[in-house]
Amino acid sequence: MTRSWLDAIVAAGAVPASHVPEASVGRTDVAEFTGADPVEDDELRVHPLADARPLAPGAACFLDGIEQWCVAAYAGVTPIVRAYVAAAIRRRGSNRRLRTVAEDAEELVITRLDRVPDGVRAALEAAGVRVIEVPAEAAGPPARALPAAHVEVQKARAALERRLAERHLAALGADEWLVVDGVLSDSAALSAHPRALGIVKSHGAEYFEGAELERALTLPDGHRTGVFRPRSRGARRDIHSWYVRLWPWQGNDLLYGLLRVEARAHPDTIAQASGISVWLRRERAPLSTPDRRWDRLLYPIHDVETYLRARAPRDLLPAAGSRLPRTGT
Amino acid sequence: MIDKTAPPPPSPAPSPTPVGRVVATELKPATPHQFHFWTANETPIGIGAIVKVEGAASGELGAGRIVYGVVTDGFAYSDLATPLHDVVGAEGDPARAAESPTVRQEIRLWTAAVLRQEPAEPLQPVPLGRVFVATDADVAQALRMDAYLGGAQPTAIPVGLYTSGGLEAPVYLDADFLLGPEAAHLNLSGVSGLATKTSAVEFLLASVFQHFPGHKGRIAAVCFNVKGPDLCFLDQPGPLDDEDRRRYARLGVAARPFERVRYYAPFKADGVNLNTLRTHADLVGDVEPLVWGLREVLDYAEVLLNRDDIDAKADAFIDFLSDRVVDKEFEDGFGGAHRVVTFADLERLFRAIFDGLEFAGRSDTWRTHHIATIRKVRNRLANISTRAKGLVTDDGPSSDLPWGRFEDRTVYVVDVANVDPLAQDLVFARVVSQLREHLERRDLGVDAVVVFVDELNKYAPADGPETYVKKMLLDISERGRYLGLVLFGAEQFRSQVHRRVVGNAGTVVFGRMDSDELATPGYQVLSPATKIKLATLPIGELMVRHPHFTQPIFVRFPRPAVLRGRDGVERFGPAADLPFDDAVVRQLVRLDRRIRPNQVKDLIAERRPEDVRRALAAVRRERPQDALAYFRRQLGGRVAAAPAPARESVPPLNPISDEPY
Repeated sequence: MTRSWLDAIVAAGAVPASHVPEASVGRTDVAEFTGADPVEDDELRVHPLADARPLAPGAACFLDGIEQWCVAAYAGVTPIVRAYVAAAIRRRGSNRRLRTVAEDAEELVITRLDRVPDGVRAALEAAGVRVIEVPAEAAGPPARALPAAHVEVQKARAALERRLAERHLAALGADEWLVVDGVLSDSAALSAHPRALGIVKSHGAEYFEGAELERALTLPDGHRTGVFRPRSRGARRDIHSWYVRLWPWQGNDLLYGLLRVEARAHPDTIAQASGISVWLRRERAPLSTPDRRWDRLLYPIHDVETYLRARAPRDLLPAAGSRLPRTGT
Repeated sequence: MIDKTAPPPPSPAPSPTPVGRVVATELKPATPHQFHFWTANETPIGIGAIVKVEGAASGELGAGRIVYGVVTDGFAYSDLATPLHDVVGAEGDPARAAESPTVRQEIRLWTAAVLRQEPAEPLQPVPLGRVFVATDADVAQALRMDAYLGGAQPTAIPVGLYTSGGLEAPVYLDADFLLGPEAAHLNLSGVSGLATKTSAVEFLLASVFQHFPGHKGRIAAVCFNVKGPDLCFLDQPGPLDDEDRRRYARLGVAARPFERVRYYAPFKADGVNLNTLRTHADLVGDVEPLVWGLREVLDYAEVLLNRDDIDAKADAFIDFLSDRVVDKEFEDGFGGAHRVVTFADLERLFRAIFDGLEFAGRSDTWRTHHIATIRKVRNRLANISTRAKGLVTDDGPSSDLPWGRFEDRTVYVVDVANVDPLAQDLVFARVVSQLREHLERRDLGVDAVVVFVDELNKYAPADGPETYVKKMLLDISERGRYLGLVLFGAEQFRSQVHRRVVGNAGTVVFGRMDSDELATPGYQVLSPATKIKLATLPIGELMVRHPHFTQPIFVRFPRPAVLRGRDGVERFGPAADLPFDDAVVRQLVRLDRRIRPNQVKDLIAERRPEDVRRALAAVRRERPQDALAYFRRQLGGRVAAAPAPARESVPPLNPISDEPY
């Protein structure tokens, strides 16, 4: 399908391009302060995990998604972005091997339709590809349009992940957990599910200040913080959360090996927080190297990402060579 | 017999599910001769497995192309970036490494060598297609056996079963390339005891006898038994289990011992007891003595005299004896007349010469031959009759293989296991030379002969002097296929056999190999994995190279349906040597059941053993109706024993001679 709509819009007057923006192969987190309310203790405290028994679910499913995008053509100065988002769930049973149990993918076009010639617009509509429009104020030259396109790609990926996760919740066994790479609070179903966990590796959102912030970010290895309730951001749901340190940070960085866990807002979560934390610490092995984020990236999540990237279109990745003009062959 | 024109026997239906997928990267590309594919971790694929690659789907690159390959190497690895990361993940505790909640992603990556591509032209890199386990039909295609399995005159000889992943398929050799004339000879290497070289040859000979195409004529085999009782019981059934019988049935070979086997063995030094382990009363009756006289030995004097002995002068004198003296009326120049037929006659001639020269006081030459040369030849020939006593008779006629009367599908076993190495060389050289001469004249009785020689590194070593035997083996290797003289050679270390002998073997078979041997340059073409497999090959499995196969193939063969040597000597324990008179009785009774032992013992009482042996040999040769009467006539009248004449001493050498003798 890719070539057909691309060929069609080029035939309609768009100029082909092959620019892969630097920020096209990963996701970002917006840095902001939201605040949080302690739930387990009267203020954020540190809890050792040495004596805690690990949660040992019979099976665990891991969900992750990827996004890739590039500027496929220009209509005047308006970029026409081609995006690919995909998500998958891989289940780990008693044989300790991961098998894909659900996946979905979608190819998108992101542009501003009223800024492209009629022929190009007609070609896109005729191709049947889903077109997402950037806001009117972001339309225009690449400097404005591409960040807006990136946001749309992230939204599409998050939506795909959410849909896949919500579909899979019904299939979860009684002793089976769903571990999501990212927050749970975007989904009402996930937020309320007793065996869904969100694993957040990036710490752009700040929930504490002062001594509590210091306790959270200097959490020793083998400890977790008390459970707290993040104050809601936008439409996000009520959720419980806590930090876990997977690896000692001294000698590295404050955020080294630091995870934030999300689970449903329920008293059971408080009771299970230590068991879940110990379970997650056991997931340190095998290491998810050579990924740069291996200190926080659980291997099963890394595996899902590897699986998705192996199945993604190859022409959306940055070219290995230089961007010299193409030869006639 | 199996009907090779019909489709091969049914085998388990192959799964239509692919077992792998061809992958190619810049570092590991697919080429026209090699490709790589991955499989699931649990896979029937292993080293030596034959696979079929089907090109990509219609419309894609490589569509319609089918490639057959054999797996030559395998790799497994995980996504672990460096071993250190495993240590870190397990926090330095190996026990914890096994407790990680998730098993890393692993790959089973295989390298395969291309056996065949269809279409053959244009020859292209292997397509990145699906990989299947080969079926019977695929194996036949992959190994190009389709060219000789069917048609009006199939020439397929079953050699074993290719087995992999629960599937098995018969593998055939092409008789035209195993037994000539296109190519010929088979060489078999492997360590003693584990490579089952003798068993493999026994099975293959049975297969050859049952499947040698009728249009190619008649075939026989001559096997030299050079160690123990290896080949002494080829006519006796050996134990087979159900799996062996199933394999025989799958290969279309009847599981039965050889129907026609003729055994030949020299006598021991006493001249009446056979020098073989097949001396059990039930079996010894069909062992023919192998006895040669002066003429047979003199023709192959070069075999028996080493390079130091056989200078030009000695050579000339031997030629003189052979051309002018043996079997002719001859005057010695001193008034004596001789007819030299036996070693004893020759010894008398030598004595006459020495005496004549000594007493006549003439020069130290006789008929232009220096006396030292004559003495040297006399000493060497006398030495032969001593070292090969039992094979070489001092007097009396020879007993030989049935030259000109070889029978179809018959094995002729020549047992030289317990004779002097010099005599082994003589037997080997003469038998093979006779085979060659008769095959050249097309009067042997069969059109092709397989000669099985074990311990080839002894007879045709890579290093060492150019012996007559080695030159003869080279000649067979290089010219034998045109004559129908086919060498099946076996040795422990292929690298120690003359390269032209092994190099001319069209079919090469390897059993379990020694690791040091595999490290020699001759095995560089094999992958490390194939070498490892060869070094650990189980009994009954072989690796076969054949001109039609572009890569070596592993096959399994059933145990031969004959009694193994060591089982044979347990079931048919060798009889103890009989006293002279009892041994004579046994031989005569074998020829004529009516003979009573006491009659014979009375006849030979107080007779000279050499006279008895001579008479016995005459009976053996003539095989008269009334053996006892003929024996009595040959023995002649009884004469009174005369005191042994004093042995005349040999005069000292002429001190003026420069000769060192």
